[in-house]
Amino acid sequence: MINRKLAKFLSLQYVVLALILILAAAGLLLLPKYVKHEGIDTKELLSNTFSNERYISTDELANNIVNQDPSFILIDVRDSISFKKNSLPNAINIPLKKILNEEASAYLDQDQFDVVLYSNTNFYADQAWMLCNRLGYKNLRVLKGGINEWFHTIINPTKPTENMPATAFELYSFRKAASMYFGVAYLDAIPKKVVKKVVRKKVKTVKKKKKKKPEGGC
Amino acid sequence: MKELEKTKRISIAAILAILAIVIAVLSFKKPKHLYAINTKDTLEKITTYDYFISLDKINNPDYVLVDLRNQHEFDKGHLKGAIHVYAPEILSEINSDILKDLKENSKKIILYATNPNEAISSYMLLYQLGYDDIKILCVENSYHQNKLITKMLV
Repeated sequence: MINRKLAKFLSLQYVVLALILILAAAGLLLLPKYVKHEGIDTKELLSNTFSNERYISTDELANNIVNQDPSFILIDVRDSISFKKNSLPNAINIPLKKILNEEASAYLDQDQFDVVLYSNTNFYADQAWMLCNRLGYKNLRVLKGGINEWFHTIINPTKPTENMPATAFELYSFRKAASMYFGVAYLDAIPKKVVKKVVRKKVKTVKKKKKKKPEGGC
Repeated sequence: MKELEKTKRISIAAILAILAIVIAVLSFKKPKHLYAINTKDTLEKITTYDYFISLDKINNPDYVLVDLRNQHEFDKGHLKGAIHVYAPEILSEINSDILKDLKENSKKIILYATNPNEAISSYMLLYQLGYDDIKILCVENSYHQNKLITKMLV
């Protein structure tokens, strides 16, 4: 009699154990909802944020545009009013508010092109960059200083003074040439060159005469 | 003999199961810093533009200034009562403890750096980590003859 009861209990114990497991599994459903963390790890975002890799200087950008580098696209994150007023050549306008839209991600979330973000300074472009970097978008750059810096360095470069090193003059002539490419006219650029050419020709003819005389004497 | 083999198998299975659970528990490491606010909400916040504060409005005992510049610049001169938190080390243990303390004591954190351009990335990072009551001070700091000059920006 006792044996039978024991046997019955023993056969039940598997059912009980299974029930306990099922109950425990059901308990998992009641756990606080695990929030899925969007984007890359915070530490990674921090180190990405404070590396200067994301910045592209205005000179680099000007060089790319002048050489008609096809591997990058420019994105203006300001609103459409200021975009219409002034913008960089061939830029696409995606206002900061719409940066997470699906249409925008077609431009931002790809690995074919380098994307250069800019705004008036690098303030709003940095914000856009932070959000996109968290989402793991690659190949994003920010124009250092934005349009303001572009205007001060490329469109309206300051002339170096005489005590500055030769590199400053090289940079100035590059910037001046770049600004001419972007349609800035310099009053002193055209007439001076013509005058110089005439003078050089005269000097050359004089030199040739001098050289010929001793040859004839020998 | 058969009985013995059965218990042997069960005990081995049990030990393996316990081992698996122990390893799982030991290797479970919760990342210390987690995002509290997703990108959509952050974008909504930053396009309201109400996260700036001007220099004349900071005279409040609940406001705490946080200097994000490097140690050298902080030592050279900083705003009165500012705490130094170097921006790239903002998630280090000491700094996050400081910030957490401030948040728990419901102080408003006001970030400043050389200019707002340099403070924005720290702001964005902290905001996404859940520090939702922080502001950026609209100033530009420079030095003139080793004295800190703080210029207000409009």
